[in-house]
Amino acid sequence: MELIRVNNLDYMYPINDGEKALKNVSLSIREGKLYAVIGKNGTGKTTLCNVLRGFIPHFHKGSLEGEVVVEGKDIRHWTMSELAKNIGFIFQNPFTQISGVKDTVFGEIAYGLENLGVEVPEIKKRVKQVIQLLNIEELADKNPYELSGGQKQRVAFAAVIVMDPDILVIDEPTSQLDPKGTRDIFDMIKWMKEQGKTIILVEHKLELIAEHADYLFVMNDGRIITEGNVEDVLSNPALIDYEAGLPQYARLGIELNKRSSDFGQIPIHRSQAEAEIKKWLGIHVNQGGSGS
Amino acid sequence: MEKGNFILNLYPSTKFMLPLFVTISIFFVPGYLYAYLMLPLCILIAFFAGKAKELVNLVVKGLLVLVLFIFIIQSVIAPGEEIFWSWGIISIKQEGVMRSLSLTSKIIAIASAFLLFFRITPVKDISQALERIGMSPKFSYAIIATFQFIPEISNRSKVIMEAQKSRGVETEGNLLTRAKAFIPVLGPLVLSSITSTEERAIALETRAFSAIGKKTSLNELTKRRIDYIIQVAMVILLTILLIGRIWLWN
Repeated sequence: MELIRVNNLDYMYPINDGEKALKNVSLSIREGKLYAVIGKNGTGKTTLCNVLRGFIPHFHKGSLEGEVVVEGKDIRHWTMSELAKNIGFIFQNPFTQISGVKDTVFGEIAYGLENLGVEVPEIKKRVKQVIQLLNIEELADKNPYELSGGQKQRVAFAAVIVMDPDILVIDEPTSQLDPKGTRDIFDMIKWMKEQGKTIILVEHKLELIAEHADYLFVMNDGRIITEGNVEDVLSNPALIDYEAGLPQYARLGIELNKRSSDFGQIPIHRSQAEAEIKKWLGIHVNQGGSGS
Repeated sequence: MEKGNFILNLYPSTKFMLPLFVTISIFFVPGYLYAYLMLPLCILIAFFAGKAKELVNLVVKGLLVLVLFIFIIQSVIAPGEEIFWSWGIISIKQEGVMRSLSLTSKIIAIASAFLLFFRITPVKDISQALERIGMSPKFSYAIIATFQFIPEISNRSKVIMEAQKSRGVETEGNLLTRAKAFIPVLGPLVLSSITSTEERAIALETRAFSAIGKKTSLNELTKRRIDYIIQVAMVILLTILLIGRIWLWN
């Protein structure tokens, strides 16, 4: 089922340098898949997220042209609080994502449900569930202000997951985190995908995208320049030209392919790379063996 | 719900009867003795709420200096005939003493009652009670966020202070140097707080802050029968004092 459809979208910020932040963007988001958006800085990835979540045009003004349909209804006709139930939004900066009115993590996670007017026993049940699932029991009684960046980001995830949205828009969730924090966040993303959530993820860590995402959009200068299944896009050498980069495994594969045409498929993540290299080495070892 | 303390479990508006009663009654009951008695009364209530130490601490730190200051100034400066004691041009007059007694007794009574009220009532309870009688949730958000933000601001100012130090701003030394160092800290602090409000607003919106309809709260706040009894009793007591005051006049 198609959840989001964007057609010929143009957007210009109210304060601008005469250039549109998004130019003729069209995309389609289907249920239950993980979509990744990559591209160098300043190419409109965050702006796109803001449009999909309705912060443009409801919060940031500016001129929005084209069609954005979320679950069958135009984005301009949704209200922000209705969208909160359907689309969860997690962004880059873990420090501003806490509500600032709760003195425990438990209360912080419950805040969204309180605003929606969910009954108290139900709230407690759901918050406990999420805390258990995300394995953050040790944080439950702490003050959200006193958490580290990684812990805050996990609490931000919990606070959005507890509202049980169908779609999650996640904008560079790991850019301020250490490797362990990044791993924890990707474990959460993987878990949400298994729950059947539709996820739109902006991220720079291509190795992790290669492992988790289904479909990929590459943005450059306000446009989507390439899109397709992750295996196809990430093994395409042209991506290097757009400064979006390639996973190190794909780079290795491309280099090997240049030097030795019998290196078959270009791998995009580690397990694939291992398999391909073993296969390739196998051919060469065998050739060497027969020659002697 | 049971925090196990009768006073702490009272409804915020019931607790507010204390500062309200004290503030009004000290103007009804003549003489400074009654007003001064409000301090031991507050300490007694604080004792039962388990907050006596905190309250005494606040009163000593915050009020004592102020009261002494008023006392000295009033006794010396206020004009009067009856001189108690004099030394050179300085003389303490009876009128001044009487006036400062009456003034300080009222300050102590009102201040200690309000200090006690805020000691025994969490801010989130106050704002929730206000929300129930029709205050906008936006307003109550502003109140609570402000109180929660104070430690955050002080942390942030420390970070900025460190950053400015590493750029060579002198932050140690005499009073003047330290006062000067305050300026490069204040600017970034205010600006960064302003820029983070946009993200904060978006964060709130992702939690359906502007949702229309009744909100629920994990913070359980119940008005019990004892709350009504105390509130009615206080109103009756105030009325009696008022009638007594009018009757005494005539």
